Amino acid sequence: MPYIARRTLTLLSSIVAIVTFNFLLFHIIPGDPIRLIARSQHLTADEIAKLHHEYGLDGSLFSQYLTYLKNLLHGDLGFSFTYQEPVIDIVKRTVGNTALLLTTSTLIVVIAGVLIGVFAGSRHGKRSDSSTVIAALVAWSLPTFWVGMLLVFTFGVWIGGLPISGIKTPHAIYDNIFQKWQDIGMHLILPTLTLAIVDIAFFVIISRTSLIEVMSEDYMLTARGKGLSRRTIVWGHGFRNALLPVLTASVLYISALVGGAIQVEVVYSWPGMGLLTYNSVLSRDYPVLEACFLITAVAVLVANFATDLLYHKLDPRVGVQK
Amino acid sequence: MVSIETSENTSADANSVQGFGSFSRRNFIRAAALTGSIVVVPGFLAACGSPKTAPTNAMLRVGWKSDIDTFNPFTTVTTEAIEVQSLIYDKLMDYGTDLKIEPSLATSSTAAGNTITYVLRESVTWHDGTPFTADDVVYTFDLIGKNQLGINAQWLTDYQSVTAPDAKTVVVAFKAPQAFDPGLVIPIVPKHIWEAKTVEQIKKDTNASPIGTGPFKFEARTQGQLVSVTRNDTWWGKAPSAIGVSWSLYTNDDLQAQALKNGDIDIIPQVAPTVFDGLKADKDLTSVALDSFSFHHIGVNVSKVPGSKGNPLLLQREIRQALGYALDRDQIVQIAYAGYAKAAASILPPSFGDSYWEPSADQAINNNPDKANALLDAAGFTKRDSKGIRQTKDGKALSFRIIAISSTSVDVRTAQLFQASAAKVGIKLTLAALDSDTLASTVYNTDAPDWDLFVWGWDSGVNDPSYLLGVPLTSQIGGNNDVFYSNPEYDALYTKQATEIDPAKRVELVKQMQQMFYEDCAYLIPVYLEKLQSYRTANWSNLTETPGGIVFNFTRDNYLKAQAGN
Amino acid sequence: MNDVTPTHPTGMVRQLWRLGLGRAGIIILIAVAFAAIVGPMIFPFDPAAVGADASSILQAPGNGHILGTDELGRDVFSQLLTGARISLFVGVMATIISTIIGASLGIFAGYYQGPADTVLMSITDFFLVVPALPLMIAMGAIFGQNLSIIILVIGFLSWPRTARIVRSQTLTLRERQYIPRARSLGAKNMRILRVNILPHVMPLIIANTILVVAGCILSEATLSFIGLGDPDRISWGSMLHFSFVSGAIGRGAWWYFLPPGIGILFVVLGFTLAGQALEQITNPRLAADV
Repeated sequence: MPYIARRTLTLLSSIVAIVTFNFLLFHIIPGDPIRLIARSQHLTADEIAKLHHEYGLDGSLFSQYLTYLKNLLHGDLGFSFTYQEPVIDIVKRTVGNTALLLTTSTLIVVIAGVLIGVFAGSRHGKRSDSSTVIAALVAWSLPTFWVGMLLVFTFGVWIGGLPISGIKTPHAIYDNIFQKWQDIGMHLILPTLTLAIVDIAFFVIISRTSLIEVMSEDYMLTARGKGLSRRTIVWGHGFRNALLPVLTASVLYISALVGGAIQVEVVYSWPGMGLLTYNSVLSRDYPVLEACFLITAVAVLVANFATDLLYHKLDPRVGVQK
Repeated sequence: MVSIETSENTSADANSVQGFGSFSRRNFIRAAALTGSIVVVPGFLAACGSPKTAPTNAMLRVGWKSDIDTFNPFTTVTTEAIEVQSLIYDKLMDYGTDLKIEPSLATSSTAAGNTITYVLRESVTWHDGTPFTADDVVYTFDLIGKNQLGINAQWLTDYQSVTAPDAKTVVVAFKAPQAFDPGLVIPIVPKHIWEAKTVEQIKKDTNASPIGTGPFKFEARTQGQLVSVTRNDTWWGKAPSAIGVSWSLYTNDDLQAQALKNGDIDIIPQVAPTVFDGLKADKDLTSVALDSFSFHHIGVNVSKVPGSKGNPLLLQREIRQALGYALDRDQIVQIAYAGYAKAAASILPPSFGDSYWEPSADQAINNNPDKANALLDAAGFTKRDSKGIRQTKDGKALSFRIIAISSTSVDVRTAQLFQASAAKVGIKLTLAALDSDTLASTVYNTDAPDWDLFVWGWDSGVNDPSYLLGVPLTSQIGGNNDVFYSNPEYDALYTKQATEIDPAKRVELVKQMQQMFYEDCAYLIPVYLEKLQSYRTANWSNLTETPGGIVFNFTRDNYLKAQAGN
Repeated sequence: MNDVTPTHPTGMVRQLWRLGLGRAGIIILIAVAFAAIVGPMIFPFDPAAVGADASSILQAPGNGHILGTDELGRDVFSQLLTGARISLFVGVMATIISTIIGASLGIFAGYYQGPADTVLMSITDFFLVVPALPLMIAMGAIFGQNLSIIILVIGFLSWPRTARIVRSQTLTLRERQYIPRARSLGAKNMRILRVNILPHVMPLIIANTILVVAGCILSEATLSFIGLGDPDRISWGSMLHFSFVSGAIGRGAWWYFLPPGIGILFVVLGFTLAGQALEQITNPRLAADV
């Protein structure tokens, strides 16, 4: 079977696994979910029975699972009693904000991280290399939320100058769309910086290690033998080959990125899925929490799938054995 | 797919998190939630200046920490919602900034025997242009009175009938004379919009686009973020200077304070004690600490229904009183409220003047661990376990659960301090912090309340003791009564004072009630609140510092009188 | 067969010490362990003792309070030392659980291979990819907030990495000559596992464990910051949580929000440095020396 087909099959089975896992996780919640989602509305025994039926809670676990799958396929993610609206609507409002935050930081982190890492790797053994590694290890040990708190303090209280909460200025009136983008851009600075400071270390370390390994390989010796300049060697040959392991490692990164995003959104009150997850925990709004988890996990699976395909394109030898 | 923001008015203020009623009347809460609107367009950093905010001499921007529950005046319970509704709807009579009663939709209100007669204002229109008539008043009173609907039903318990003898008069008849004029609290709703709905439908109606006769019209609402109203230029009264009012939700005290400091909002109606000093020091702000009609309390589950999951030990008065003696109110004032509160005793704060009752030194049930220990020993709880926690004769520990709203930091701190105090007399308290929605639904579960103690609060709905005194009534179980207290003697006294016209006699009854309730220790009230509020001096003037608050008070007048600019 | 890899603990430590970063890691860890164990015994204040009055709230360092006070007037330094214990305890306990699960599964899968291996590895990969923090948050919300549950949840989500590494090593070891020979001599599987495989996998497990501790400590701190920690315990994460919600940042109370973060940074860094250095020692293929 061609690689793409096989990989797609893996993706689909992983998605099914996640959906099932999600279902099981949220159906072993102690207590009567109807009481919980109906909040403080007084319900008669009839109304409770009706709600049990509506939510498919009166069948066996398996039939509930089937109902759950059926609903998912129709795009029905449940109903939130805290927000009094379908979960899918809430998700639609927030997911774009998180996407914006993650895309911006990932771009910065990957580009800057790889460049720094390759630079350090090319100076392997020298001072600049060791100090870079130490700096990276320190950065990677920082709790993301704490970095956020420090930046909030620095730029919100101490020096000031940057917005520390939200995605836009409240009640802002814009003359044109550029002003709006600029406002959002200003609000994007600190959250992105927070994510970047910690996550960049990951790429620095990985790409540095990768470059060092590549530099010591045979074909690199050949290149040196040919008399190519150092620059060409590093950036021409080494770089491209060093990228492959970086791609593999990104699989781990994407998972961690999601965790970082939640922390950043909480600290900066950024209205995305991370903050939504946090709030749904506070209010025990399980339908929303369930949806957040599912979407996040599926997004990670899809991102990994894309990464694997990209890797396969760059190096078709891959895919024989993991 | 993802939605693109369509309206410039619904600003995506990212301060989202639910949470209600830091200290509010809250009951069958519904909503809250958050989510910002989305921006699909990537942000770019253009070089030029920052966007203009609305000219500050127009919109009065309030920053608060709890969202409204609904616009439906028949199901609403939160202070926040009532605040917004007070600008959209008018009442027959209303309070001025001096808290004196003034005419509103009615030009006069006359009580005679068992009736109250209102003379209505003329040439008033609803926000949708329909003329206001006496039928609207009749409809509103009848709906609430006949069906005992919503929190305002408590003022119509003696309701008999309502009639409109002519186009500008309404007569409400009661079974007995009323000490309190319900025209002061009941918002008048448009009959032509509500009459088509059945009572069941009304109970579920969110009233998403409320129509009233008030000085402001509904404009927009983003759940968990923003509520806004715009000026009603056809209002019957003097037009407000503000072009509109908006309320933005903040989750974090710090962020809220920062927003006020850098001018994102104009006024904070409830400043957290820990940030208040910082705001006081800021020269651009006017910060006030006002006497209030509010308190925070620790409620004890004294429900007697068979399904109750509260700890049955709490039904014993000695244990409740021991908890009362263990509580150190001064410490709570100092540490939980940073000094910005007053040590409390009974259910009526001192702002209620003559009605206020205070226990004498020997009557006081406060900060006396020795007495607490003595009480518990005498009641037979002398056995202790390895950690020093008392046990019943059959080995059950005196261990209770206490819940508080996580976003109300003063309550969480109060609970923490109370834990330490209770431990000193051998009682263990386990703290769980919940969001306000969950706390409300946990507490107000009439059939099977699954909690032992909570920390919460009350604001008096009206400038009259009946509101707060009415909370622990047996008839309010299923209503405001959050501890399921039931005492027939107390109920009897309430009925008496509610129909007692002689003020001196009424004060006597009211004081008796307070003492009775105090000694029963179903409420342990640590503090009377000081309303800490702060606003930008340059943006708004002509705000009266009324006891109870500039805003978030019985009177809405400051919204109307506020002058833009200095 | 390259047997430079030390299998004896003293050998490992000695090699660790020689590596600059490894040395730094060990020093940091010893300092933290000392502070956590000895600290609570010598500091003057009871970390739970609240202040006397309003002026004692969020005080700057002074008046005997080395790191000032928190929003309840409690001594921050005492809390910092007490918090060290919980943070370390949760990190280590969660790691033990995760290592036991991960190593067992890894050895089992790598040794027996076949369908068991495929199934186990699919499960492992599944958990590797599932985003950890949202899952921890969901589980914390569902199962509750006491210390044991938090330890279980964190441990449960950290084993995949260990499993993968141990499996690879087991696979390599399995192919070595003496295994088939031992088999043909009649030795049972369990014995082979115990005598031939386990000792050679141990160094790798230990190196990986140290790195996992770093991750678990960070996880606990994050969960506590979000508010899902055990409310009855002080940990560094919960200190940061309270400093964030009680307005410490707005008041510039750096003594409250800086030290716990620095503490977390140091502990995680210590374990990371030591762990990375150990990995280099035990797995020479990874040696990209610094």
